[in-house]
Amino acid sequence: MSHIAFRDEAVELEADYVVVGSGAGGATAACELARGGARVALVEAGPWLDPEHYPHSTYGSMRDLFDDWGSQVARGQALWPLVQGSCIGGSTVINCAICVRTPDDIFEKWQREQGLPDLRGPILAHQDALERELCATEVPAESLGRSSALALQGANQLGYASRVMTRYVKGCLGSGQCLQGCRAQRKQSLNINFVPEVLSRGGTVLSCAPVRRILFSNSRAIGVTGRFRQPRTRRRGGAFTVRAKHAVFVAGSVTWSPVLLAQSGVRMPALGHYFRAHPGFGLFGVYDDPVDPNRGATQGWASVAFRESPGFKMETLAIPPEMMASRLSGGGTALLAKLRDYRHLAMWVIAVRAESVGTVRPGLLGKPVVRYSADRADMERVRKGLAQVARTHFAAGARRVLPVIYGLPYSIGPDEIRVIEDGPVDPRAYISILSHLFGGCVMGRDPATSVVDDRGRVHGYQGLVVADASVIPSNLGVNPQHTIMALARHFAQAALDAR
Amino acid sequence: MLNWLFFHVLSALYPHTEDFPGIAETGLAEFLPRFRRESAPLFRLGFYAAALVFVLSPILTVYLPVPSFLLSRRLLDKHADRITQFPLYPLRSLLLLLKVVAGLCWGAHPAVRARFGLPPLPADPTDWRTQ
Repeated sequence: MSHIAFRDEAVELEADYVVVGSGAGGATAACELARGGARVALVEAGPWLDPEHYPHSTYGSMRDLFDDWGSQVARGQALWPLVQGSCIGGSTVINCAICVRTPDDIFEKWQREQGLPDLRGPILAHQDALERELCATEVPAESLGRSSALALQGANQLGYASRVMTRYVKGCLGSGQCLQGCRAQRKQSLNINFVPEVLSRGGTVLSCAPVRRILFSNSRAIGVTGRFRQPRTRRRGGAFTVRAKHAVFVAGSVTWSPVLLAQSGVRMPALGHYFRAHPGFGLFGVYDDPVDPNRGATQGWASVAFRESPGFKMETLAIPPEMMASRLSGGGTALLAKLRDYRHLAMWVIAVRAESVGTVRPGLLGKPVVRYSADRADMERVRKGLAQVARTHFAAGARRVLPVIYGLPYSIGPDEIRVIEDGPVDPRAYISILSHLFGGCVMGRDPATSVVDDRGRVHGYQGLVVADASVIPSNLGVNPQHTIMALARHFAQAALDAR
Repeated sequence: MLNWLFFHVLSALYPHTEDFPGIAETGLAEFLPRFRRESAPLFRLGFYAAALVFVLSPILTVYLPVPSFLLSRRLLDKHADRITQFPLYPLRSLLLLLKVVAGLCWGAHPAVRARFGLPPLPADPTDWRTQ
């Protein structure tokens, strides 16, 4: 077993399988392949940070854990950032490990629209196993935090279904540090379980190793190559080449996987198409008693009551104080006066099940360029979603609500929710983050409209599998990590069976 | 010169008030060189552009054709509030970036965190697994 980090010397290796990317898809696939007795090389662009290396500050998180400081934006009518992790464990290090099973209607949709077989059986079986392995549990009451408790109270008051979240967290301490990496190791990010298991089963992990190209012999993928990159200085180190006896698994993320395939010469009509996302929007409730948003689980409450219609999921979210100031409007003394309310603010968000589609292409500097704009129908979902959040805040006892929408009043009362419902449909009026991404290498039967088949294999190529969220052909309307990991396990098992 | 400019811009966005320390009192002198050394190039470029826009845009907010560092304290404060809410989206987005970067410095300072009822943050580790 070995871990190879940044170095100046060239490295050449051979394994049965090479897995590119160590996030939810890559680490899960690598672990499953290693459990099947295969020699696995897991190659990750970012560094390997153990929990004692996690930064405390948001500055440190952006520097050490985020892909390009979180500075990647989707270009469209509005500029909305794409947030992805870039470290061993990928985005599982910086997300809240929310565990939601793939909804039934999604499997039907994939069968109907993509010509895929029914994946319900295998995916749910994998999700069962993952829930056991990664200790999927509800947020304990003592760690819930006041913001989530208020949301639960508000939803109950309004009579719609909601619940305390189930997450891959073993005994949450409520430290509110999910987004900076859980130093207490309660959150089961994959750098503390699946990746070490790959090592213990004789695998090799390369970190600080961004893959530049997939190597082919005719139409068979035979390995990957790239150059080490020093995480802090970005200095380039030695070249590495990892050859794969059986297959290359690409799990570099929705933005990087299509780009890596394209840069490696894969030409397919659907490559880079059907990019989708759950744009996330938040608003604040102002309460008389302190909420202390950063005490308790970062996210603890959710509702899928409106997932099918109008199409959004509701959640609580505690953003770090460093980010709070930029979420409120204005500057100077007026901004600081608004921040006096900080301890009394509860931020609740919606993840919109948007139907808009975009593209992912390699840019001039080799980085992904995402083009995406939310259309009018999606923006109407946003208005309805935020209005529902506002209603829930008032039902929970909020004194005022801060919509944080350009052109609307800074704060509104309970009888003014109409201003959100009638609010702008221009995406530029809203601050959003695209955190759940899908597509770019979508699954389907037809090579004209899809990139991979139901086992993740790239149409027309041998030994090339994609195993991350880029294969997901539709918006889920729920947090995708559980679906990504189950699909990755399914693809890995299919590869082992086909040996 | 560049440092002086950033101090001017960021202090206008996060000035000293009765309730909070201004950003100049929260370790900005150490933060700026670290940010310039460590941040991603595009991120840094956006920050520089935003600072420049802030300095050159009083004509749009307080209707005076002067750089922001020549404004009185009252007008500078008005400019800081108005430019961050300016109707033109590209300007507003750039200023948001400026607020985000400034927030990373200001919001992490022990005095600000104490005001928010939060304990001070330990220093960030600077290493990662190399073996």
